[in-house]
Order: sequence, then structure tokens, then C-alpha cells
Amino acid sequence: MEDAKKILQDDNHVLFLKDDMFIKDFPSDYRQIRYFTLMIVQKAPPEIKEINLLEQQISEIIKNAVKHGNRSDPNKKINVWYTFSKEEARIIVEDEGKGFKNIDEWNTFNVERHDCLSKEDYTKLADYVSYRTENSDDNDGGNAMFAAVEYWNEGVVFSKNGNIVAAGKKFPRKHPGIEIS
Amino acid sequence: MELKIRKSADIYIIDVNGEMDLYNSYKLKELVMKMLEKKIQKFVINMEDVEYIDSSGIGALIYICSTIKKLSLKLLIANVRGSVKKVIELTKLMGYFPITGNVLEAVRKLTD
Repeated sequence: MEDAKKILQDDNHVLFLKDDMFIKDFPSDYRQIRYFTLMIVQKAPPEIKEINLLEQQISEIIKNAVKHGNRSDPNKKINVWYTFSKEEARIIVEDEGKGFKNIDEWNTFNVERHDCLSKEDYTKLADYVSYRTENSDDNDGGNAMFAAVEYWNEGVVFSKNGNIVAAGKKFPRKHPGIEIS
Repeated sequence: MELKIRKSADIYIIDVNGEMDLYNSYKLKELVMKMLEKKIQKFVINMEDVEYIDSSGIGALIYICSTIKKLSLKLLIANVRGSVKKVIELTKLMGYFPITGNVLEAVRKLTD
């Protein structure tokens, strides 16, 4: 099994480049997270939606920003930059919160989790199926970022402050063209 | 999301219909906890008609699964397919969850 994927932290990462990206801002309204997500995903070509996997992954990033970043404070908003093509999906989400400070801890947790998975130690894995902090509540699955680092194959990168996250995914071309000379 | 309960001998089958998302996944958790209070021991969760699942839905399944395991009771999750399967695969938990093919197979496995 390959090594555990990590959440990165780098202000200068290429995924933070916002050239030619659309931008929208949304209020921190928890009840509307899926609606905001649909407004963004409607721009994506059907080829990369994979039923609703793209929607689900974007919804998780927006949820984290609204709920864990802005703590659903109605006075705070989130900014979302996004671009989609048949080959790539990219998104950047900025909130007005204190930032995700537990990135190193999360990465260590994920290495442990990965170790259980590669050894198929499902008894020990029970302690690593959900990453929780003192701010987690019963509705937090604690597993969104495990899926995110797998899904976003160009990376999941946080800013140094931890309040901006960028993610990108490349999609394989299903019908590569044949060049005729 | 709609939840319906069917019964086959001492096995309780929960048919989940619709979207298991951040707004309603807790309902499945609450239902199973109530059924545990009623001393039900064998569960099948039928995911056949689940069109959408997110980390809250996966979280609900993890909670249910670990609670039932701790109590040494029986649970099988049936009809994991489509986008539900893809999301579980991304979390790499296909081996952790007690997944089986369809409801009939699950009932057969849980029948003494």
C-alpha cells in the first residue's frame, strides 16, 4: 500500500493561483451548504461529476469553512474560487475563522490510520475511523478529510493561517484523441 | 431521507431511502439507538435507495457499526453501490464495514 497522503500547508502552492477562476461569496448559513455547492457544481461538465462525487467533495470543503471556520457566524462569509474542465476541477475556499491549526496532528493521525488499514487491523482501526477535536459535535463524521486527500489527486493545501484551503483533481481523458498526420 | 423498518423473523431490516447528508444522517443513528433500547439484536441496513452520502452519513454508519460491535450484536450493510460505494472506498473503509451483497443474502447470513 502506498504511503498515507498528507494535507499540505504552503502559501505559495500552485493550487492557490486564482487566474481565470470564477468567484462567489456565500453567507455562513449551515442550512444552505448543499444549495451553495449546487450553485458551484452546475458549472462543471457532466463528464467529471461522477454521479455526485464532485458535489459531495466540494460540499465537505464548504461545510468545513462555514461550520468549523466561521462557526456558522452570520456576520462572516466565505469566498469560493472555482474552475472546471473535462480534465480538471479546482476549488479554493476562504473563511474568516481562526484557521485549521491541527494539520500536523491530523497528518500523524492519518499515518496511524493508514498503518491499521495496510495491516488490516480493524480492531485498532476503530480508534482511527474518525478524527475529532474539542469542537467536533455529533453531526461531524470526522472522516471528510480522509476522503478529500484521496479524491483531490493534485493535493489539498492550506494557507499558513489555515483559513484558506485549495484542492485540485485531474481526471483521466476517457477517449484520448488519435492524431492523424 | 426516509427510513422504513421491515422484519424477517428476529432480523430487522432498515430500508434507507434518499440522501444521507449533513442534515439528516442523525435520524438513522437515533433510530438504531432506539431499536437497541428495545433489545433488538440483528440489524440489516439496506442502502439500495441511497442516492447521496457525505461524511456525516459515513460518520453515522461508523457510529452504528462500532456501537453494535461493542455490544456484540449483529449488523450487515446491504446493497452498497454507486456513489455510496465510491465515497466509502475513498475513506478506505470497505473492509471495516460489515458489507454484504443484498438483503436476502444478509438475512440468510444472520439466520441461525
